[in-house]
This record gives sequence, C-alpha cells and structure tokens, in this order.
Amino acid sequence: MTPPAGDATMRPGRVLIVDDTQFNRQLLGRLLQGIGHEPVEASDGRQALDRLRDPEQPPIDVILLDIVMPEMDGYDVLAALRDDAALRHLPVIVISGVDELDSVVRCLEMGAADYLPRTVDPAILEARIASSLARKRLHDAEREAVDRQAATNEVLAIMSRSAFDLQVVLDASVRAAVRLCRADYGVAYVLEGDAYRVAASAGGTDELDRWERELTIKPGRDSVVGRVALLGEAIQIEDVQDDREYVASGQQVGGYRTIFGVPIEQDGTISGVLALTRSEVRAFADAEKALAIGFAEQAAIGVANARLLETIDRQRGQLARFLSPQVAQLVSSPEGEALLAGHRREITAMFCDLRNFTTFSETAEPEEVLGFLRRYHAMVGALVVEHEGTLEHFAGDGIMVFFNDPAPQEDHAGRAVRMAVAIRERFAEVSDEWRRRGHILQVGIGIATGYATMGRIGFEGRYDYGGVGNAIILASRLSGEAEPNEILISQRTFAALDGDQASAEPAGERALKGFSRPLLVYSVGSMARAAEAS
Amino acid sequence: MGSPIDAATMANLLDITGGDQGFVDELVDTYVAEGERIVGELVTAAEAGAVADMVRPAHSLKSSSLNVGALALGELCRRLEQDALDGAVDAPVARATEVNHAFDAARAALLDERASR
Repeated sequence: MTPPAGDATMRPGRVLIVDDTQFNRQLLGRLLQGIGHEPVEASDGRQALDRLRDPEQPPIDVILLDIVMPEMDGYDVLAALRDDAALRHLPVIVISGVDELDSVVRCLEMGAADYLPRTVDPAILEARIASSLARKRLHDAEREAVDRQAATNEVLAIMSRSAFDLQVVLDASVRAAVRLCRADYGVAYVLEGDAYRVAASAGGTDELDRWERELTIKPGRDSVVGRVALLGEAIQIEDVQDDREYVASGQQVGGYRTIFGVPIEQDGTISGVLALTRSEVRAFADAEKALAIGFAEQAAIGVANARLLETIDRQRGQLARFLSPQVAQLVSSPEGEALLAGHRREITAMFCDLRNFTTFSETAEPEEVLGFLRRYHAMVGALVVEHEGTLEHFAGDGIMVFFNDPAPQEDHAGRAVRMAVAIRERFAEVSDEWRRRGHILQVGIGIATGYATMGRIGFEGRYDYGGVGNAIILASRLSGEAEPNEILISQRTFAALDGDQASAEPAGERALKGFSRPLLVYSVGSMARAAEAS
Repeated sequence: MGSPIDAATMANLLDITGGDQGFVDELVDTYVAEGERIVGELVTAAEAGAVADMVRPAHSLKSSSLNVGALALGELCRRLEQDALDGAVDAPVARATEVNHAFDAARAALLDERASR
C-alpha cells in the first residue's frame, strides 16, 4: 500500500473538496487524510463559497473542484473566485474524467491551477496537492512580508507624526504586534512608580481588558509581565498550565495558554512590558518574536519621548513661577536661543506706577506697605496673564508690561489699553479700602507703541528679558506725566487702536524729558464711556 | 459475461485507502444509497422527456461507478452523459432503464461479494 504520511518535508494543508456526490467526497477525504492533509467538504459551489468567505472558519489552502454540480457548477465557482480579491490566489485543482479534456482546458483558462483524473491515484493526488500548496505558501509568504512591511511603515509613520503622544504610539505598536504576531490579545504595561499598569491593549474580550486594566504588577516570577520586568529579557511561556511558577489569574479570565513578553526598555532601563497572548498552546515563532521586539522598541522610543516632554513641561512650569509664561515658553522653545539673542520688533509698552507711594511708604508701617504691594502685584499680575502681556518687571510700585513680544499679537495696542483700563478699575476698589485707612493711593499709566530691540538683558548669572527703545522710555515718561487715575497713550498707540479710538481723546502736547520736541498725547476714558460715545 | 464488478479495481480501491476493509464497505454503502437516488433522478428525467436533466445524474453515477469497478455501468453512464449533452437521446426511457438494470446488477454483485467474505 501507499505510505500514509506522504512526503515528510511537506507541511499538511487544509483542502476543500467541492463535489455533489457523497461517494467522491468520502473517497477523496480518505485519500487526503492518508497523505496527511485535512479535508473539508462542500456539496456544491454555493456551499463552497460560503465556507471560503466565512471569517469564523480556518482558511483553506487548496480547492479540489468538481465541474458538474447543481446550484453553482465548477465554472461558476472559478468565475466567483476570480472576482474575489481575497480568494483569487487560492489554487484550484479541477477533478475530471479522461473524456472531459475540453472542460479541463476551459477551467485552466479560467484560472484553475491543475487537474486530476476522476479515478484517483493517491501518488498523483499527493504530487498535485504538494505543488499547489507550495504555490499557495509562496504567495502567503509574499503577502505576509508585504503586510508586515506595511504595518511597520504605518507604526513608523504614526511615530513620526505623533512622536510625543505616548498613547498614540503605544496603541499603534500593540495593535500592529497583535496583528502581525497572530496573537489573540496584546497589552503594553508601563511603569508608574514601582508597579506596572496597562497603558494600551488590542484584541481580547472586553471582560479580559477590564480585568487587565485593574491590575498593578510588580517585578516577580508569578506573571509574564512581572518576570520580564524582573529579568529584563524577553520571555515565552509556551503553556501557562505547565509553568509551576505562573500564578497570575488572568489566564482564567482570558483563557490564554501561550504568552510572550518583551521588555520596553531604553539604555538598560525598563519602562514597560509588551505582552502577547494566544488562547491555544502555540509558541510564537522566531520571526514573530523578532517583530514583537521591534514594536517594543518603537514603544520604548514613545515612552522616552513622553518622559522627555514631561521633564520639559515641568521645567517650564517651574520657570513660569519666576518668569512670565511667555518668556518661560520662549526659553524652552526651539527658536528660543535666537529670540533671546536679540531681535527688533514693534511692541506696545505699558508702564504703571503709583502716585503718593513714597509718602505712603514713609508713613505706613512696613508690614502694611508689603501687604499692600502683594495685593497690588497680585491684582495687576492676574490682569497681565488675562491679557497675555509679557511682564518685564515689578520694581516697587512700578510695573512694566510689553505686548507683541516674544509671541506676536495682533491688536497689541488695543490689548495694552484694555488692560490699563482694567487695572484702573480694579485699583479703584483697592484704593477705596486704603483711603478708609487714611492713605491716598492712585495709579498713573503710560502706554506707547514703537520699535524696540528685545532680548536677554543683563549679565551671566542674572539675566532679564527686556527691551531697549524709545517706546519703552516714552511709556515710562507718560506714566510719570499722567494725572492720578489717568491713562496717557502716545499718538502711535492711538493710531493703532482700531475701533477703540472713541475711548481716547487728545490731551494736548507734552514736553517730555529726553524727547527733543513736544509730543501729542491722548487720554483714555473708561471703556463704558467709549461704548456710549460710539 | 463475467461479474459486473471489476475485481482489480476493487482491490486497488482497498489498497489506496490503506487496506481498510471497513472503510471500503462504508464507501460501498454510500455508493449504493447515493446510486439509488441518482438512478431515480435519471428515470424521472427520462420519463418526463427532459434529456438535459439526464446529464448530471449520468455524470455523477459514472465517476463513482468507475471507482468501485462497475466498469460496464460506468461506460453506459459515460455514453448517456455525452449523448444527453449533445441532445441526442432518442429513447430516454429505454436508456434510463438500461442504466437502472446495470446498477441493480452492480449493487447485487457488491453486496454478494461482501456476504461471501
């Protein structure tokens, strides 16, 4: 008799027998089993296509097709396969009698790979199936390579687009790893403090996912994640039921048997673990392990980037307590160095100081003076933030704020004026309170617009962000010139006040120290008055 | 005329299925049950004068008959299938009856062979 196992080097395939006679299906099925393949039966073309398109069923490798059948015959099946991109590559061996060579030719023209005589010889069957299987597997390998490349490219593209969005990078890495390594479930654990928690997952049931997301895992031998974290190397457990040290109960929820875990690490520091599971006992092959390691490396870059970003954010947050938010942002931005080195820009500068402050500080208790200054600075500080001004300095009762630098702002003159009006209004509340204690305190504000050179001013060890230019000097002079509670603005600021001009009126020409000729200035009324006027 | 079943073909069938007589017996049972149904279809089509409907039953019975060694029946079916395809069946009922008788003979021989073991 014929040896039942067939060629030992050939891997078994799943063969779909499409034949309307049970006799033929039974006989072919037996012969296929005899040479080590798995037969699957369909009694007509319609049933065959349904089986081939059923995603729940394991894929077919080769089709043995009868031509004369009810419902859909062999030609219809060949035509349907040719029109279906997912099935087009499947090799079809047509079964025919010696008297049916015309139909065989027609079938070969329609895409059939081969044909078999009706009175079957097992040796011929074996040879034909082997050749079709080899063809199918070559095709599968090519498609898999293309698929892997595409998925790798996709993850790389996501990485380059969202390198600093850890969640996006982890999601993409886990998703690709599950798909390409043929896992049922994949999960990325990331170290938080001294334990690992789920940061991304793919595949798996909702129940399993919920269960995993509740977990915190510490390095240890009782789970794959813990073991990878403990040993710092990739680990495969082929069957968790045979691993005596494995006690993690996720297996009961997820029903998984084989697990592969890879460290997510950079420069020898483990920041997470990528774990892939299968619900059946089937070890991850070397190629699949290599892929998983690749995706864990992508995840590691994502984690490192995210940590870097956190550090920068934290430093920026700390800087912002000492510098204005705009300057803190500038210091940690890529263009920061160039801007700090000095640049010329049109700005609007606002200078604000207090009338009678010297008298007040001489007559009041020092604690009172400091308390007042804290309150005044907090009030002005909040308004500067609200109007997105750049605070240059607080110097006792004097405050200098810029607009349109370092971040460009349209309507910088308008912003400065609106902020000045707001300061005056709020200050009225504060000054009422102090008046009741016997101190008269009033504010004077000057605003000017013009070009200034902005950048780092000072010396190594003590730098300020500031500017040099006529607009800055003019704002300071106008502040000194202003009557109590008056806001004086330069002609250029007035000209730049689109739509807000109604709130300002000419306040004559003033001769100012350092300016060779008198300058026309404007006084800003309340915004409410401006609204009435317009 | 000898047995309607070719002994060499049967021996080959047993050989290629791994010498498993139990399986071959099952296969013969399938052949008989399915053959009765197919012959029934053939006769019905013939009586209705539907020659085109005789193609498929003739085709089905042909292939299984040749595999169990019913060579004469297989040949009858082959000619009938061909003629039906060409639309050249002058006496459909007579042709179906001829097939029916040959099938009966093959079935009897197969069952006798089993009983004689």
